[in-house]
Amino acid sequence: MSFRSSITIVASPRPRVGKTLLARLLTDFHSHEGRLVTAFDLNTGDRTLAQFLPDKTTAASVRDVNGQMALFDHLVAYEDITKIIDVGHEAYEAFFSLAQNIGFVDEARRRSIAVAILFMVTPDHTSVTAYRSLRERFTQATLAPVHNEILGPAQHRDKYPLAAGGPGVVRMAALAPGLRRYIETPPFSFADPRIADPTRIPAAAYAELGRWLRRIYLEFRELDLRILLADLRSSIQFSSHSQ
Amino acid sequence: MAKPTVILVGADKGGVGKTTVARTLIDYFGAHQTPTRAFDTEWPRGTLKRFHSDLTEVVDVTSVPDQMKIFDTLGSAEAKVTVIDVRAGLLSATLQALTDIGFLESAKKGQITFAVFHILGSSIASLDEIAETARVVGDANYFLVKNFINNTTFFEWDPAVYNSYFKKIKGAEEIIIPKLNEMAFEQVEVASVPFVSFVGNKSAKGEAANYSFVLRGYVRHWLGNVWGEFDRVKLVDMVSPKIESNVRQVAG
Repeated sequence: MSFRSSITIVASPRPRVGKTLLARLLTDFHSHEGRLVTAFDLNTGDRTLAQFLPDKTTAASVRDVNGQMALFDHLVAYEDITKIIDVGHEAYEAFFSLAQNIGFVDEARRRSIAVAILFMVTPDHTSVTAYRSLRERFTQATLAPVHNEILGPAQHRDKYPLAAGGPGVVRMAALAPGLRRYIETPPFSFADPRIADPTRIPAAAYAELGRWLRRIYLEFRELDLRILLADLRSSIQFSSHSQ
Repeated sequence: MAKPTVILVGADKGGVGKTTVARTLIDYFGAHQTPTRAFDTEWPRGTLKRFHSDLTEVVDVTSVPDQMKIFDTLGSAEAKVTVIDVRAGLLSATLQALTDIGFLESAKKGQITFAVFHILGSSIASLDEIAETARVVGDANYFLVKNFINNTTFFEWDPAVYNSYFKKIKGAEEIIIPKLNEMAFEQVEVASVPFVSFVGNKSAKGEAANYSFVLRGYVRHWLGNVWGEFDRVKLVDMVSPKIESNVRQVAG
């Protein structure tokens, strides 16, 4: 199989672990790489993805069938657009239960769409159990743990087993505390060229922000390669089995 | 040659989902590559025929020529399984007619496999139906179907009373049809196609359709659960012990 486009789901059953920041970074990363990208936001409240990136984000819900159709029918549509989903902790169980029941990942693969789940790791039992459950329920998706370094060091070790041949832990470097205030007022896009304006972000802070972004984008490129390799590997296995 | 099977789907009360259950049975046997034909007794205009037009004939089960059309052809028909969707209010009359023509006697002798899917309503009157139907059905495979597809609740029944009726019937089995999302059910109705065609995104003519992926997913999940119930009661073994059971994956 050769994937035509991808859907990346950013998820955690816990609040305030950096899901929306990761979804923002991913959306802007794909724009930066010259891809068409659209995002779906399953959060409520303040500082949501839809507020940060209003031009690229659709507020979504899985609470009723109309919302479910608006989201999932759009996700599997035949279109060459990279899609990011920010699954808030309140929607976590409903989203994944529905995805499992309707066979979302299988349908996406049938339509040559790669599905990756980026799971924000935390040391609590709820998250560890949720991660293992995703591994069992969505074997056809690429599942990658994400370590948000601002939450502390190495809390993912041992508790979040990696899939053989799959991606390693994605590291989300911590942004220096003094820089957070520049990026935490919506709307804000890392891909917006106006942020280079020194009246908006001082030159030194902008340079530091650029270094941070490069580290994270490097992780995303590595993840893309891993997904591609996993795809190639499964294609080779498929070919050798069918001969 | 394997003996023919007749499955009667009925209830004395209307609106309890007889045709829905008949449709799931036709899809189930289709998935098991078991040739099936159906008779819709909602004469002159059948609902079952709207969904399975190629397999279904609308008949007046009270008329002798139509009774001949169904029962005189059991041995010669290509279809091994005959599903009869009995119109509301005609279950008792149909069973009586089957007794009169000696069909139940043939079933008793093992010449024909006979099963009754009795779709229960939520009212206490359904319990009286069970006793009445069981008396006529005798040794047939008798399935009591609790149909929750329309969110029916069986709260009116005292479990002790229900069990007292249920246990009186030798060999009776209970089948639960779970609830299907209303919008998904409605869209299949609008499409007028078998459940498996809806899941497979096919129109009535077998062409690619454009049904909602979410609604197809709901129907597939639900149909998998319904077929799980049919697997549980070993429906395929009843029809033919040699056929591989447990076909669940219906989406193409």
